[in-house]
Amino acid sequence: MPSTDNEGLLKRLSCEISAAWAIAKKDMRIYYFKPNIIVSGLFFPLFMFLAFAIGKNTPPGALIPGLISITLLFSASSIEPVSIPIERRVKTFERLLSAPISLYSLVTGESLSGFLYSLGIACLPLTIGIIVFDTPILNIPILVVSMVLTAFCFATLGTLFAAYPTENVGEVMSMLNTVRLPLIFISGVFIPISVMPRIGQQIALVSPLTYGNDMIEYAYTGKSLFSPLVDILAVIIFILIFQVTANYLYKKFNE
Amino acid sequence: MQAIEVSHLIKKFGSLTALNDITFSVGEGETFGFLGPNGAGKTTTIRILTGVSRPTSGTATIFGHDIEHDTIAARQSMGIVSENSNVYDDLTAWQNMMFSAELYHVGRKEREKKAEELLKKFELYNRRNDKVHGFSKGMKRRLTLAMGLVNSPRLLFLDEPTSGLDVQSNIIIRDVVADLVLEGVTVFLTTHNIEEANVMCDRVAIINKGHIVAIDAPESLKKTIQSVQSIEVSFDHNSADQLDELSRLSVVNRAQKSGDKFKLYTEDPSEVINAVTAYANTHNLKVISITTLGPSLEDVFIHLTGLQRTGEIIHAID
Repeated sequence: MPSTDNEGLLKRLSCEISAAWAIAKKDMRIYYFKPNIIVSGLFFPLFMFLAFAIGKNTPPGALIPGLISITLLFSASSIEPVSIPIERRVKTFERLLSAPISLYSLVTGESLSGFLYSLGIACLPLTIGIIVFDTPILNIPILVVSMVLTAFCFATLGTLFAAYPTENVGEVMSMLNTVRLPLIFISGVFIPISVMPRIGQQIALVSPLTYGNDMIEYAYTGKSLFSPLVDILAVIIFILIFQVTANYLYKKFNE
Repeated sequence: MQAIEVSHLIKKFGSLTALNDITFSVGEGETFGFLGPNGAGKTTTIRILTGVSRPTSGTATIFGHDIEHDTIAARQSMGIVSENSNVYDDLTAWQNMMFSAELYHVGRKEREKKAEELLKKFELYNRRNDKVHGFSKGMKRRLTLAMGLVNSPRLLFLDEPTSGLDVQSNIIIRDVVADLVLEGVTVFLTTHNIEEANVMCDRVAIINKGHIVAIDAPESLKKTIQSVQSIEVSFDHNSADQLDELSRLSVVNRAQKSGDKFKLYTEDPSEVINAVTAYANTHNLKVISITTLGPSLEDVFIHLTGLQRTGEIIHAID
């Protein structure tokens, strides 16, 4: 009997994964090249970064880890806040809600497209760092892990904000930006956490970007505030919190 | 086993009771119509039966699976065709079909075979590689129905399937639904087109203000209001005054003009025939046709939901 149960469970899991992947593929086909996604996911972090980096005496190559961090933040969280309100408006979201899949798969599928999009976009500063500025990477495995986890964390954050039951993209984006914009100032991207006032350092602890950026810094420089293991654990905890909260909100708002 | 079994379902939104203790069942292979005026509780019922919304209390099962606690198993056997043609405009017809099949866990070979078969049936196969945003309303509706059938459902929820469609799409959809019924698929149909429900359904339920006010076969429902009979008459000449004059005939309760015909509601059809013949003689009119009609399903609907007619339009009393 237990083997039959396991087979049933495996089959269920395989169905859930393929449904989540189908949702991600659908989003990739439809939304990746929408102008507002390109602006929000690619140009916004780039110009935001340039606005703060130009004029500093830091060598350009040293700015690459920070640029990767905010690119991951903005691009990963830019797909679902656009796609889900649009799908609510044209009633295709109802199709997903009534499909024989769990809400976890729906949330994961939606987040997957943002995750893959941001990994692709973040390869741009990574490549520019390697080719143009010859920026050395000291720990490639940590860089890969940090990019993957940070991208998924912020993609789930985007899906979480998109749970707000509106058909208006602007409403979700406004709410999301009230969280995303402060994050880049309190997470050590532009101002090192060590030079922040004590209150700032305490706030930095509740920002997922702090840990993502810390890992990426470690991969490039070998220096970090926390050990990479603590950073990895912290980002995983944030992912779980976002995932569970998103699941709860999608359920609650559809009742 | 019943396809749908609903027991004492209540749904409240704050202080508003959208569904007030409704109970009904739909047998396997049955075509069941669910009628009601706007805001009566049709959409709330469908949202609960498809597991999108949760009831405040009561239960609903789909082929024995509780929709609230065994949601995924219950949904696996259903196809849902919503009122809005909720297709992805930026995907091709084929990609829409594949996506729908993947959501319902249909294997690759099977979904390709099924998609080809359905797109051919709905006369969309030649446009399968075109993005849907170029499709007409009727084509999008046909694609929505094809997507709802890609998992070969045992139960199909059809919400306003032919509303506002062109004749070609209308005919195709009705033919496909008729075939599905022959194949033993259970159909749960909501429609504003009462004649459609009359023709297609084995039984209909009429819901009003969250209560089910009647549930029976269309012909049985009509028998409950035999007092609403009518005479349909057509003259060789029509004039603007005729409707008013006919409505004033002694045994006519209400008169209505539809096209070149007048429909005269009465409790005594034979008396009206005499009156109409006399009226025609007096006004030098020739009667082209005269027919006695029993109550229609629409009459039953109006009678039970407390709606009233003004000319051709039906208005809610409240």
